[in-house]
Amino acid sequence: MIAVWLSELVVFALVVAGILAERPAALAATGGALVAAAALLRFAPPLRTALAAGFARHRAAALAGGAVLALALPLALRASPYWTFVATLALLYVTIGQGLNLQIGTAGVINLAGAAFAGLGGYSVGLLTLSAGWPAWLALLMAPWIAVTVGAVLFVPILKTRGHYLALVTIAFGFIFNILMNNLEFTGGPQGLKNIPTLRLFGWAFTSKPALAGVELPAHANFYYAALLVAGLTTWALRRLHDSWLGLALNTLRDDEIAARCCGVSLTRGKLLAFSIGNLCIGLGGALYAVMVGFVSPPDFDFGYSLVMLSVVIIGGVDSIPGVVLGACLLLPLPERFRFLHEYRLLLYGAVIVVMLLYRPRGLWPAAVRRYR
Amino acid sequence: MPPLELLLQQALNGVMLGVMYALIAVGFTLFFGVLDVIHFSHGDIFMLGAFAGLSTLLGLAAVGLRAPVAALPLAFVAAILVTGLVGVLAERVCVKPLARSSPLMTLLATLSLGLVIRESVLIFYPRGADPKPFPQLLPQGGFEVGGVAIRYENLAILGIGLAAMVTVDLIIRRTRMGAAIRAVAQDPEAAQMMGVNLDRTVDATFFLGSGLAAVAGILSGLYYSEIHFIMGITGGVIGFSAAAIGGLGNVYGAIVGGLLFGVLQTTSAALIPRGSEFRDVVAFAVVMLFLIVRPRGILGEQSVERV
Repeated sequence: MIAVWLSELVVFALVVAGILAERPAALAATGGALVAAAALLRFAPPLRTALAAGFARHRAAALAGGAVLALALPLALRASPYWTFVATLALLYVTIGQGLNLQIGTAGVINLAGAAFAGLGGYSVGLLTLSAGWPAWLALLMAPWIAVTVGAVLFVPILKTRGHYLALVTIAFGFIFNILMNNLEFTGGPQGLKNIPTLRLFGWAFTSKPALAGVELPAHANFYYAALLVAGLTTWALRRLHDSWLGLALNTLRDDEIAARCCGVSLTRGKLLAFSIGNLCIGLGGALYAVMVGFVSPPDFDFGYSLVMLSVVIIGGVDSIPGVVLGACLLLPLPERFRFLHEYRLLLYGAVIVVMLLYRPRGLWPAAVRRYR
Repeated sequence: MPPLELLLQQALNGVMLGVMYALIAVGFTLFFGVLDVIHFSHGDIFMLGAFAGLSTLLGLAAVGLRAPVAALPLAFVAAILVTGLVGVLAERVCVKPLARSSPLMTLLATLSLGLVIRESVLIFYPRGADPKPFPQLLPQGGFEVGGVAIRYENLAILGIGLAAMVTVDLIIRRTRMGAAIRAVAQDPEAAQMMGVNLDRTVDATFFLGSGLAAVAGILSGLYYSEIHFIMGITGGVIGFSAAAIGGLGNVYGAIVGGLLFGVLQTTSAALIPRGSEFRDVVAFAVVMLFLIVRPRGILGEQSVERV
């Protein structure tokens, strides 16, 4: 148990050091240490199996340790509000990624309009608070359901088309969403919606600086904890769903529709349910994003972000719940860390994804084979 | 209701756009035919073709060759060579190795490769972030038939596009390589047993399709007299839509789909209020409806579902 906690602590320390290292020498040292740790695991199978066995035996302890470290992260990053913001963004992508993974990974319903559904959540929050005068928390609760409702437009195409054709239908949906947001008057056109009021819970405004254990944290830490709670709950709920009979039924639908229907799995109910629950999570992520930055505009939800969401799922591991968490926590902060590469950042991002797909096609944390005891 | 002349005019413009879309769509459909994949970076290869053409034209102008009759064919040849080679490279590096895994993998891989191509043009082309003016080399002026203005420039674009399509049709139907492409599209294993070199055929298909995208790229530059590094995103999505409307794997379907998409765009721009802003909404909505009604396209994808 101690070894489990210790290894978690080491990873945490290395990650924090990697994030905060400013001078090239410090950055190289932490980067080298991370690579060395990964290489040690890769080329020392006994160590790997021992660690894996330790984590498997003390699962509850490992999860508790991870939770404590996740709670402590804003303390470690308190000097940098920017990195607290990036960490929050990664957590929002965990929520979004879990929703998308349910659609694409578990049920095989290809959705290339992730950004559009996040945008539906974000714009709903903006319109409900600014035009209808709702308080932010109520709008935040309502917005994901609007994303689900609008998603019903795609119900018929999902049932009628598959594979590449479905991919095209969802791309077209994303483009339509973006053009409409750009040109409709009530959504603010290209300028978007500004000054979305911040979240206020029990008299606590999310713009004021919280204090934890007597240490003052940047205001973004409020949203970090909110996003951590939401990401944790979503991951837990979707893990339960994935392990349930419904998750199994969705897997069979994905692998062989005809065989699944022969076994009595309802194609209509399965696909639409997975699609809607997925959109609920994606919309929630987008809504929280809108409240956090207080501003939404069409470029925040264009096709490129759908691509990022898709890469979180695929690079993490298709149909793998922990894989999505890992994918989001790697793919979101890494380009920020390499901001010093300036314009080469996106170029490298694309190249890295291609290389990953060629050499690790099943993702960083491949889905485990289902086991029933 | 707008007057009939306006509608005819818009339909004519739609055919113009449609020819360009069809040229992109034929590439998508050819690649799908031989490898059963959607090559999503094709849109960015179309953009690359436009930039290769522009660079050639600028280079020729710098050495004093400005006559369109000489410069334009050279630009087409150079752009086709560049995109053809990049297309084959893309296929070797990231399409064929993933062709046997799930469609999701090729989807993400080619989308990311498109990002790489786009960013490379942005970074390495001088001042790549700005829209680039494209020289107007086609004859200006025109005439009028029954209230519909016909410009020489448009006729030339139409003519070049049609010539490219006829050439491809001849290559596919009349040459040995064309026969090999058709054979691989029907059944790769049987084709190999008949002595078709699969790798070479796939390479040739990607060269051919990517070259067509270069033609479309230059035509688009001539038509809008401007090119931009992000034009490949919409170009690719429209080309894919056109190929899907026509039925993936069907070359004639792709041409019909391209023309249909172009006419749809321009007529909806004329028919609905604020049409120029919402024309793509209408066009994409029709594509979605279309795929619901005919999930395998107008002319149909040639495949059967095996149980």
